[in-house]
Amino acid sequence: MAKDIGKPIFDLFLVVASAIGFYMATTLPAVSMAGGLSPASFPKLISGLIFVCAVPCLIRDSYEWLAARRVREGVTALNATAPKKGILQWLTIVALIIVYINSFERLGYIASTAIFCFLNVVCLVITSGEFQKLSNSRKLRNLAAYTVFAFTLSLVIYYVFTELFNIPLPD
Amino acid sequence: MLTGYIDGLGLVFQLGTLLAIAGGTFLGIIMGVLPGLTSAMAIALLLPVTFGMPPVMGIGMLLGTLCGAGASGSIPAILLNIPGTPSSVATTFDGFPMAQKGEAGRALGLAIVASFFGGVASMVVLSLLAPPIAEFALRFGAAEYFSLSIFGLVIIASVAGKSLLKGLIAGLIGFFCSTIGTDPIAGVDRFTFGQLSLLTGINLLPALIGLFAVSQVLKDAFEYDPSNKLQNSPHKVDIARPRFIETLRNWRALLVGIVSGSVVGPVPGAGGSIASLVAYDQARRFSKTPEKFGKGHGAGIVSVESANNALLGGALIPTLALGIPGEAATAVLLGGLMIQGVTPGPMLFESQSGIIYGIFLAYLVANFFMLIIMCLGIKLFVRVLLVPRKQLISAIIVFCFIGVYGVDGDVFNLYIMLAFGLLGYFLNRYGFGTAPVILGLILGPIAESNLRRGLQTFGGDWTPFFTRPISVTFLVIACGLLALTLWQNYRTRQQDAAPDAA
Amino acid sequence: MKKLALSLSVATAMMASAGAFAEYPEQNIDMIVPFSAGGGNDTFVRALQPLLEEKLDTNLVIRNISGGGGAVGLTRAQASDSDGYTLAAASNALLTLEALGNVDFTYEDFDFVAKILEEPYVIAVGEDSEYADLDAMVEAAKEGTSVQVGVSGVGSSAHIAAVAFADTAEVDFNFIPYPGGSETISAAMGGHVDAVVLGGAELRSALESGRLKALGMSYAERSESLPDVPTFQEEGYNLSLTVWRGIAGPDGLPEEAKEAWVNAIKEIVDEGSFEETASNLGLDIVPLYGDELEAFIAESAEVMKDSAGDLAAK
Repeated sequence: MAKDIGKPIFDLFLVVASAIGFYMATTLPAVSMAGGLSPASFPKLISGLIFVCAVPCLIRDSYEWLAARRVREGVTALNATAPKKGILQWLTIVALIIVYINSFERLGYIASTAIFCFLNVVCLVITSGEFQKLSNSRKLRNLAAYTVFAFTLSLVIYYVFTELFNIPLPD
Repeated sequence: MLTGYIDGLGLVFQLGTLLAIAGGTFLGIIMGVLPGLTSAMAIALLLPVTFGMPPVMGIGMLLGTLCGAGASGSIPAILLNIPGTPSSVATTFDGFPMAQKGEAGRALGLAIVASFFGGVASMVVLSLLAPPIAEFALRFGAAEYFSLSIFGLVIIASVAGKSLLKGLIAGLIGFFCSTIGTDPIAGVDRFTFGQLSLLTGINLLPALIGLFAVSQVLKDAFEYDPSNKLQNSPHKVDIARPRFIETLRNWRALLVGIVSGSVVGPVPGAGGSIASLVAYDQARRFSKTPEKFGKGHGAGIVSVESANNALLGGALIPTLALGIPGEAATAVLLGGLMIQGVTPGPMLFESQSGIIYGIFLAYLVANFFMLIIMCLGIKLFVRVLLVPRKQLISAIIVFCFIGVYGVDGDVFNLYIMLAFGLLGYFLNRYGFGTAPVILGLILGPIAESNLRRGLQTFGGDWTPFFTRPISVTFLVIACGLLALTLWQNYRTRQQDAAPDAA
Repeated sequence: MKKLALSLSVATAMMASAGAFAEYPEQNIDMIVPFSAGGGNDTFVRALQPLLEEKLDTNLVIRNISGGGGAVGLTRAQASDSDGYTLAAASNALLTLEALGNVDFTYEDFDFVAKILEEPYVIAVGEDSEYADLDAMVEAAKEGTSVQVGVSGVGSSAHIAAVAFADTAEVDFNFIPYPGGSETISAAMGGHVDAVVLGGAELRSALESGRLKALGMSYAERSESLPDVPTFQEEGYNLSLTVWRGIAGPDGLPEEAKEAWVNAIKEIVDEGSFEETASNLGLDIVPLYGDELEAFIAESAEVMKDSAGDLAAK
């Protein structure tokens, strides 16, 4: 993954984002103040600097990526499966964190945390292919273990924080 | 003075007081381990408990909390690459690589002893030099703060990865994010999109936890591979013990850390967060083997951790000598002092009551308790690495949620945390690094608001920034360091290029 | 820790034999503090917490919901059920947020239970200042000198109070906003600004040590905590304002809940057990309830709105 297509894409993202940032800074109300610096001055300056720095990065990284692609055209097919699995694992955990944030106050601390922990572990073992290799009885036993883990963790944390430390968590 | 200390001894060495200090230290250590739960939070929670106590007992308990939390922030930084507070960001630079080499126990051992020395040294500085240092800190006006922040921003070059340009971009991203919220001088809303939570800007803690903890979890999830049984390289539990001799062998780094912590720590508002980064930067410059830094070098850990606890004593200087707390933790502590009827200020140091000496001694005792508790716990901490990765990933996210939600009770900050987690993941993956973002977030507002505040004060005149002595000194040092870094960078690149060509 | 506090409070509650309460409260009461742990509002609630828990015979769960200078927490408090089990620590911030137009609520969306503490706004200068009194400072500004006045936070209640004073005195000061009280004080001590406008509690240790000296304060009458400081009115400026802290809930709180709270606070004030803590913090206990409180809030809101309008216009 040394020469990753993501690298130039991220540079491009920075170039576009800094341009948008600069545009938004120009729409800030112009309050003239002593010394000639308004609230918009710094955002403009910084987004402009990011733009100026990100463009050479984009050019260099795109060039490197193109060069690497030419060299390794035949070889990459072999390694393609490993990153794909990683991306699936990555997307799952991001999705689960979003669900966790949304359910945090709605379901209360104990339920949302237990569900998150359980699903997180289960999704990781399934997407990584670890789970499918197990025998059926082992599958059940592991699922039970994950459930116990999830509930113990959320219950222990909930009581330690709300009762012992007096830090309120959503009910 | 001597009689003062004897009176102080009498106040501190009572069973109840010692127990209170030990309890405070213990709670501080627990709070410091959890990302996001700050020592300010721990002290605020303990405040009601201390109301009924005599002054030295109550204040000792709060000081213990401060001390414990300051030291234990290194534990998650070393074991999991997750700094719980801005001041332990630099601990990850060498601590985590060392842990990955299987020497987590050694890294912890160094960190604990360095914290202890830093704390004790700063207590000595505090007791001897507090009033003059406090007077010096008062001379910092807008121009001086601006120049200090420019000096701090030069550190970006030092903490950036291979590419200086990309490190600079990361720092600028942090700087840009810091402009979100109500403009500090004119009061105009900038980029808030009608979000109430954004009125006061992006909170540092959710951003910090996102950039380090969440991004690390995302990386772990991406790389999760069940066929590799030992995700971490083999870790040895038996090497986990306090490292007194090795720490002292790094005396140069230790000294740099203590001096940086004691000098930068007292500057209200700016010192606490950057003192340890300054220490790391300077330790690397003074080192004979700067190339080892960032790859698991003991001196790196020693410099950061000694600065980390030295700055606590430093931050106490303006709090006790002037009644001006530098940041949140000392602000709560000040509240605790005042409730106890102890009014900070120059009189506190001149009064014969023995309370001030009791406070010094209580802080010293707290450092000893910290050393003892951490040494007892060190083998336990290392076992965190034995927890299977998939469970550890879940647990880390759960603790991040507590840290972010527990302090603010605002779900919006959880989204901020996730957003910075995603940003941090890509920044790390594509060689930008996350530490410069934090520097930009911390120093950006100091630079911007003080430049504009200065212009407002000087009636639009730019020259005082270059004529006031402290201000110009910082600017000159900053330029010098920048030139030095660029030159060193150029040199190493040439050296790297030479063997490649051959 | 909490268990200990709880059993202590239960024990003392039984001894106090004040158990003749109505049914309220039947459960824990959430107290929203719209600032993070350790701020002035937080310290005040935490200092009162054990006393209130004893009198109300229940647990107070303090929830720090910070963000937006109080806007997030207060919005949440205002939107919660008005059953008396969610209350908020209220202060001037509630009125300034409304005055600056940052929030959707007005003070009429709240039911104010009690005002408990007050502190004055104080105008202070460095110990070597050339300004011996308020008149000297105002005179200098009238003659065209740029008098730099440090305030804690742009749009903070201290900032608005400072603008209100400048309006009353019919002068223009050069206002320099700092991020918080401690930065403002150190700027004044270091001579980086000519004067500061801050709450009396924040200034207390600086005034006691003599590093800053107070020129005037915003109470209508002299205060016990600062007996030597003249009021604005004594000096000929017709302005009286206070920084107040109290308890409020969403509009329409049940009467029995309000009554229980008012009784509890009255008892605490009468016993005097809170007096020492308050005076150590530099605060005056000036309780106010019911209709008088409503009139007080309406009046303060009016002053804030006028001055905030001037602030926005500048």
